Amino acid sequence: MHNMLLEVKDLHVNYGAIAAIKGIDLNVARGEVVTILGANGAGKTTTLRTISGLLKAASGSIVFEGRELSKLQAHEIVALGMSHSPEGRRVFSTLSVEENLMMGAYTLKKYDQATLDWIYEILPRLKERRKQLAGTLSGGEQQMLAIGRAIMSKPKLLILDEPSLGLAPVLVKVIFKAIKAIAKSGVTVLLVEQNAKAALKLADRGYVLELGKITHTGSSEELLNSEVIQEAYLGKKK
Amino acid sequence: MMNKTGLIALLLLGFAGLYPLFVDSAWLAVGTTFLVFACVAFSQDIILGRAGVFHMGHAMFFGLGAYTTAILNVQFGWAILATWIPSVVIPMACAFALVAPIIHLRGDYLLVATIGFNIIFIQILENDVFGLTGGPNGLFGIDVVHVFGYDFSSQIHMYYMAFILLGITLFIMRSLDRSKFGRAMFYIHKDDIAAQSMGISLRYYKLYAFILGAGIAGAAGSMFSVQYSAVSPEAFNVTQSIMFFTIVLVGGSASLPGVLIGTFVMFVLPEVFREFETARYLVFGVAMILTMILRPRGIWPVKFGNIPSFLKKGAK
Repeated sequence: MHNMLLEVKDLHVNYGAIAAIKGIDLNVARGEVVTILGANGAGKTTTLRTISGLLKAASGSIVFEGRELSKLQAHEIVALGMSHSPEGRRVFSTLSVEENLMMGAYTLKKYDQATLDWIYEILPRLKERRKQLAGTLSGGEQQMLAIGRAIMSKPKLLILDEPSLGLAPVLVKVIFKAIKAIAKSGVTVLLVEQNAKAALKLADRGYVLELGKITHTGSSEELLNSEVIQEAYLGKKK
Repeated sequence: MMNKTGLIALLLLGFAGLYPLFVDSAWLAVGTTFLVFACVAFSQDIILGRAGVFHMGHAMFFGLGAYTTAILNVQFGWAILATWIPSVVIPMACAFALVAPIIHLRGDYLLVATIGFNIIFIQILENDVFGLTGGPNGLFGIDVVHVFGYDFSSQIHMYYMAFILLGITLFIMRSLDRSKFGRAMFYIHKDDIAAQSMGISLRYYKLYAFILGAGIAGAAGSMFSVQYSAVSPEAFNVTQSIMFFTIVLVGGSASLPGVLIGTFVMFVLPEVFREFETARYLVFGVAMILTMILRPRGIWPVKFGNIPSFLKKGAK
């Protein structure tokens, strides 16, 4: 029964009087890649931020490896092995690429050279630019850095919030290739995306979030072939 | 080996060390107060410039240190030396007790709350609570430091004690730059969401900044009360807090030379132009506005160096 890495049950999140998440259930098994799809304002980022402790739930439970997270602070959750690469990249622009990566290992006693080498292997652009200040990178390179930084803490679960946001299609490919390599190495990935097609191609399963509720769920194949999903998210005309 | 900054620092140190030999007593007192205010400004910088917390009640911690020494000495007859530890510990304890419940507030909300603390603090002093604070007039006749029958009572003694205090403060600031705490504060300041997702506790490090800042301000307050052998509430009101806040922003947040320049501009320059009386504050206000427009990051903004070496230890 405990092959579930993350189990979210009946989660409610409010912003003041406004209910942003209205009772969702989702789970992620070890080794899986799961994606949450949805339009702007559906509550995707809110869901991720609540899971990683940046926001507090109004009610419901979030269980990670059998431990209840809803009472823990964000920094404690990172130490348990969940790493969140937040929306909008948020790299430290006055630090170099390599320093940003080292910073990702903040919760470890010292950073792991093998992990760093591996990041340079799957994202070679970062190696080329490792002495450069992060603020001088392009948007796509900053996104690579944000992902690399998130895996420096050697997480069991990697949470990615819109990694393709605002990137050129060619860079989206590079990013998704890297996520695939990360997943293949055994890291479980929870991915939020507006680029539904790319996300479903990569993921094993998906959830569709609409106005704070999960409206569809299924394997990626089912979702890709579903009429409703195709119309709403994959741009197919009736 | 010596770089330009190091040379400037050494020249300044030499100048500051020899300053008392060349000036009259009025200017010596200005020099001593400059050193004390610089300590307070650095302690404000830990909270405002490094952790990035908008704190506008710092004169309260400065005042807590000053009044701790004054009350223990004047009302209870403690030796000044014996009041040093409480004058550091009491502001730290107050920082913890007062700030812990409000540390989750953001930016302007926290700023208003800290102003509120400062106002209440002044009310307590002026209303002579428990008959300890001496009311609006404050307390007079604070003793000097005695060690082994020797009195450190002259203005020159005061100057060098303040000089040593600033030295200790600078050492703490330097260590902070190189420590895990200092880096954590820097990350929180730059981007709190990213810092949290790296596993940094906002609450812990912001409180740490407050407690450390309050301790240094308390030590400076104790020195201040001994220098003037008196304390009164107006030296620790919100206007003073605004001055410490402004010193950091005008000089340059998180920059050691910046904070020193800020203290010089905000405190010593008005003394230099004393003959212009209140008109000088007009120039002053204009200068503050111009600094923010022309040099929004301060007169001497900070340059961030490399990640501290201990974090690189894993590297081959």
